[in-house]
Amino acid sequence: MMHVGSDISTGKDMSAGNDIIALAETDNDRTSRYRFYSRILTPEELPLCDGLTGGELSFSSFVWLMWSIKESVYKYVSRADPGLRFAPLKIPVRGLRICEDHYEGIIRYGGLTMFSRSFLWDKVIMTVVSACEDFSNVRWGMEVIGNPDYTTQSALVRKFALHSLSTDLPGAALRIIKTLDGPPELWDDERSLDIPLSLAHHGPYVAWSYRLPAISSSYRKSAANRAASSHLRRVNLLEITGLNRSCSSCEYSS
Amino acid sequence: MERRAILEELKKVLYPYTENKELLENIDEHTALVKDLKINSANLVDIIIDAEAKYTIEIDFDSAEKIITVGDCINAIAEKIP
Repeated sequence: MMHVGSDISTGKDMSAGNDIIALAETDNDRTSRYRFYSRILTPEELPLCDGLTGGELSFSSFVWLMWSIKESVYKYVSRADPGLRFAPLKIPVRGLRICEDHYEGIIRYGGLTMFSRSFLWDKVIMTVVSACEDFSNVRWGMEVIGNPDYTTQSALVRKFALHSLSTDLPGAALRIIKTLDGPPELWDDERSLDIPLSLAHHGPYVAWSYRLPAISSSYRKSAANRAASSHLRRVNLLEITGLNRSCSSCEYSS
Repeated sequence: MERRAILEELKKVLYPYTENKELLENIDEHTALVKDLKINSANLVDIIIDAEAKYTIEIDFDSAEKIITVGDCINAIAEKIP
């Protein structure tokens, strides 16, 4: 925890966190009851819903949007603190705003400032978090897979994540290892990679998020990371053209 | 109420949220809800509320945060029922 915190405080993104919520798997009536949502939202967070002008967000969707942000933050920080327990009320979302096709949030947790991006379609909410507001080097994706059993969901989210990673790291012999109590780890053949990965599935949806490494001299030595460096240069060009945009004109609701 | 009896009743609470019913039948106090039973974390609040309704109790936030295993669930229930 301290290790991650000290790195985040210097602006370096050290982990990955995401979540996905299949709204059809939730109960609107139950979610809207105080007994339910008061276990997820603090009184200070309730006004954030009113501040989201211009959106079509129901209260129950707002509750699950907030849940997905908090769960994503929990996944992010628990990488360095595997014993941490998920306590939504202790992960305060300080601001939330609509930004073009997604929602952006600010979270302050344990002295850290983190940022979230949530994408809400008709039946699904997907969130990713980062310690860098521009989400530079953070990649994410989602797929609809029908409604298979847990084992199949787990296998498919790994398959899709590896496919996405293979475009960033062509030529690498990538595999995902799930440790007993920790987060998934990405390996290239017999070597663990410094690419934190977060996986999620709920109902018919799977989602993944990972952070590509900052370019370092030692990292450039491997074939896989030479490919990553090449990709990062390409990403920088995309950022210049605005494809990886930020929304500085939007105001946070807080 | 004995812990064994609470565990048997808890199986009924967990039933709708557990895909592997055979695994559920063989749970013990060390069984983890998410890691072992593969219950989606989005259902954890449902489980707490269902347990509250079943025993007509109110599980406080601190106790709810400690629920990782079946044994944690039993602790949270046992300390609230007479």
